[in-house]
Amino acid sequence: MSPLSQLRMEMRENRRSSARGLWRGAPRKLGTPQFLLSAVLLVVLAVFVIVPVGTIAVDTFVWQAGDVRLSREAQPGALTLFHWQRVFRSPLTGHLLTTPLVNSILVGVGTAALSLALGGLLAWFVVRTDMPFRRVAGALAVVPYMIPSYTLALAWLTLFKNQRIGGTAGLFQYLTGVAPPDWVAYGFFPTVIVLALHYYPFVFLLISNALASVDTSLEESAEVLGAPRSLVLRRITLPVILPAVLSGTILTFSRAIGAFGTPYFLGSPVRFFTLPTMIYSNIGMRFPSTANILVLVLIVLSTILIFVSQKMVGVRRSFVTISGKGFRHKPVELGRWKYPALAITGSVILFAAVLPFIMFFWQSVMEYAGTYSFSNFTSAFWLAPAGTRLTEGEPGLLRNPEVLRAAWNSVRLSATAALVAAVLGSLIGYVVVKGRGTVISKAIEQVSFLPYLIPSIAFGAIYLNVFIRPWGPIPALYGTFLLLVLTCAFRNLPFAARSGVSTMIQVSGELEEAAQTLGAGWFYRFRRVVFPLTIRGMIVGFSLVFMTTMRELSLIILLVTPQTRTLTTMTMRYQEQGFVQFANAITVVLVVMSVIGVWAIRKLGGQSGGS
Amino acid sequence: MRVKRVGCMVLALLIGGLVIGLAEGQKIDEATRAWLQQVKVGPYQEATLYELALAEGEVTIYSYSSRVHNFAATFEARYPGIKVNAFDMDSGEILTKVLAEQRAGRFSADVIYLKDPAAVIAELYEPGYVFNYIPPDIKHLLPPHYREPLLVHHISLDVFIYNTEVYDSSPITNIWDVTRPEWRGKFLMPDPLVTTEYIEVLATIVQNADAMAAAYAEAFGEPLVLSPGVENAGYEWIKRMLGNGAVIVRSTDDVSNAVGAPGQVAPPVGLTAFSRLRDKEKNPQLAFDVAYGMGPVLGVEHQVVVAIVNRAPHPNAAKLLIQWMMGDDRGGWGYAPYHVFGNWPTRVDVPAPSGVPALAELAYWNTDADFVWDNYGKIVDFWTLNR
Repeated sequence: MSPLSQLRMEMRENRRSSARGLWRGAPRKLGTPQFLLSAVLLVVLAVFVIVPVGTIAVDTFVWQAGDVRLSREAQPGALTLFHWQRVFRSPLTGHLLTTPLVNSILVGVGTAALSLALGGLLAWFVVRTDMPFRRVAGALAVVPYMIPSYTLALAWLTLFKNQRIGGTAGLFQYLTGVAPPDWVAYGFFPTVIVLALHYYPFVFLLISNALASVDTSLEESAEVLGAPRSLVLRRITLPVILPAVLSGTILTFSRAIGAFGTPYFLGSPVRFFTLPTMIYSNIGMRFPSTANILVLVLIVLSTILIFVSQKMVGVRRSFVTISGKGFRHKPVELGRWKYPALAITGSVILFAAVLPFIMFFWQSVMEYAGTYSFSNFTSAFWLAPAGTRLTEGEPGLLRNPEVLRAAWNSVRLSATAALVAAVLGSLIGYVVVKGRGTVISKAIEQVSFLPYLIPSIAFGAIYLNVFIRPWGPIPALYGTFLLLVLTCAFRNLPFAARSGVSTMIQVSGELEEAAQTLGAGWFYRFRRVVFPLTIRGMIVGFSLVFMTTMRELSLIILLVTPQTRTLTTMTMRYQEQGFVQFANAITVVLVVMSVIGVWAIRKLGGQSGGS
Repeated sequence: MRVKRVGCMVLALLIGGLVIGLAEGQKIDEATRAWLQQVKVGPYQEATLYELALAEGEVTIYSYSSRVHNFAATFEARYPGIKVNAFDMDSGEILTKVLAEQRAGRFSADVIYLKDPAAVIAELYEPGYVFNYIPPDIKHLLPPHYREPLLVHHISLDVFIYNTEVYDSSPITNIWDVTRPEWRGKFLMPDPLVTTEYIEVLATIVQNADAMAAAYAEAFGEPLVLSPGVENAGYEWIKRMLGNGAVIVRSTDDVSNAVGAPGQVAPPVGLTAFSRLRDKEKNPQLAFDVAYGMGPVLGVEHQVVVAIVNRAPHPNAAKLLIQWMMGDDRGGWGYAPYHVFGNWPTRVDVPAPSGVPALAELAYWNTDADFVWDNYGKIVDFWTLNR
């Protein structure tokens, strides 16, 4: 037996297997805390996830009020197969389902692949190498996700647009005199690039978290034993970060197939339509049943992906990296690749975060929108007192009490929702991993992911309809701040749950078992052993939910009250009135608050995590 | 007879105005004041409503327009003690929210103010979820089709626009021009499946199929031959326009920015909201104007309606707010935020905003809520199949 295969054997032994038997004979263990916790989580998920999804499914078989516009036979409230026939077997099928579905899958696969490459590479540079400015790069690498993706799409058009959609030619044509072909300017290609630049932070966060918890001595041992770098990467590093890679793939793929704004913005000039286009337009026209069928198609698509990934992790199992033994990090020396690495990282961050942010700020200090000169500078939209002519009487953003209250609401909502989601996500990660292989574990994992695939506006509408009246022991939550929190927490739960699962997979069971042997109760174990070990994963989940909620608009628009309105609800107002400057200024404020929020939670988490 | 009745009305108004006018500076005793108050005459017509509204203390409005915050502020200043809870969201979202509230018996909205009258009438008005309220003192100032079944607050137009930097006058003069080869790929319009008021526009074009056919004959000098399976000239226009590489964009400002951007050699033309002309004040570089000479019409109207919600918790405050929104005879009060370029008041006594032609001088098509409602799905499907 070669030393290398011996090492592999050791790692295999390290795999989690201890908990597996425990769950096979579930009835025996009815009273265990894990089982009770699973049961409680299932009930919570049933109320807040299964009921909404069930509502969607049931609705597709019922004539809706607006359907009389589609068919003379419609009798609102009665059962029908009309909607399914319309989507699957009608002259419209190709336009409504097939072509958009194929386009969506292409966009999803392309975005996931590119995000994986970008996010993985950046994570490795930041966590495992001696690249200069690693810390700064690590902090900035997630900023692209805080910047609305449509601005990147706009930036793309500014650069590459040709005469197809009118207006002035793009910068590229201006400089080179060559008009970019349509496929560069519009459709699939730019959509994938823009979406990947926006969503790679998911992959970055998950993989850097995984890499940070890996004991580098595993890799070093392999190298000492003479394994070439490629083999080390393939046989040690990759398997160890596989759960994070899969989680990242699932998150980016699902978000990309469900994304509306960017694909629509870049695709519609060449009539490149994806499923979300059809979903959003059917919701907008109030044909919810058609929209819901297409949502179910998205759900099936992602469920297949999750199933396949569960099989992959299940078959290859996973490797425990957070064990009871201490470990250390030894950075890989990049040598002459140091600066190319920095250049790659720098340019991604520059184009996806820094430049768009500067553009926003610049556009918020222009007297006339679109005129980029210093004589056009004004600070009125930030600082003017009420009654200024230029702002048509509106006070500057920083002097407007309504804006300040909305900003506070945004922070309050994002932080609370993120906290709820992060805690739930960790618990879900715990029971899913402890029970890996059992039906209940699979069910919880699948169900907790469903909200991710429902379009925001549909999710908001369902919560409105379900929680507007008392529901069993739950009072009518309509009009309360709590409902906003629950909506945002459950809609974004998948971030926290994915992060919880991929972190928990890395935690060795031996630590908890040791505590158990020493007589520690379950709550004590969870609080003192499991929780501190997974705090990093919780921070990832918290950050993702926080950043997402900060920008949330269509999810909560049906549920906010004037007292709970958030900053995003105000951008709509300024955009409609043509105040590009105010709208941009609000985006600047949102990004700054997101950065501060994520930085703060890292500091806080870093202290309580102790490592 | 008719003339006489109008005469009486004018007289009554004059007297009414006189009473209000006098009451301002009059010294009247307590008994008279009580009587005026009791019979709601003179200054107390409004004041009584205010008193009742004051007891209610607040009013909740769901508005499609964010300018709700502007007229809410002036309302609160004019009627101290009544707080306006203003929600701004899309018309579709208002429908969803009101339907959910009514079905659950959670009555929280008082007033709704939104586009898409076809859906409002069919989904909210007919089932009795909302009711019409016409402030009594302006009823005679509203044409019947702007007060029944629901009060129309103002209207807007969707029109064809062209670039004024390159063209001295509009290069298109007939709606069928955008189907000509020289405009291939050079006509922009918002996606009706996303900016859904354009379904109303398309429906109105379909409804006026005869005029569309006549316009074709005028433009091409020969009668229109419909494509196989196409029902009428309106649908034929949609089909040929899409077939001619029309560029579908997301919203009205995408159209006006593309058409109006300076420095273009061969700028496109487009269909967009008249009110986009306002953007030129905020961005003077934009160079576009409305093709006023378009045939058969320069554009299509769309309406914005206002109504009181069933079991509104603050009905009197709701009435007072609607009265405020309809403004005075100069387009002031609560109407002021809408007395601007691109909107036209429905009150016949209010002049069009300065610099804008009066509605009577413009040739446009009215929308017909029933027709829009009945043909909505058909038009959506036709569009989806042909785009």
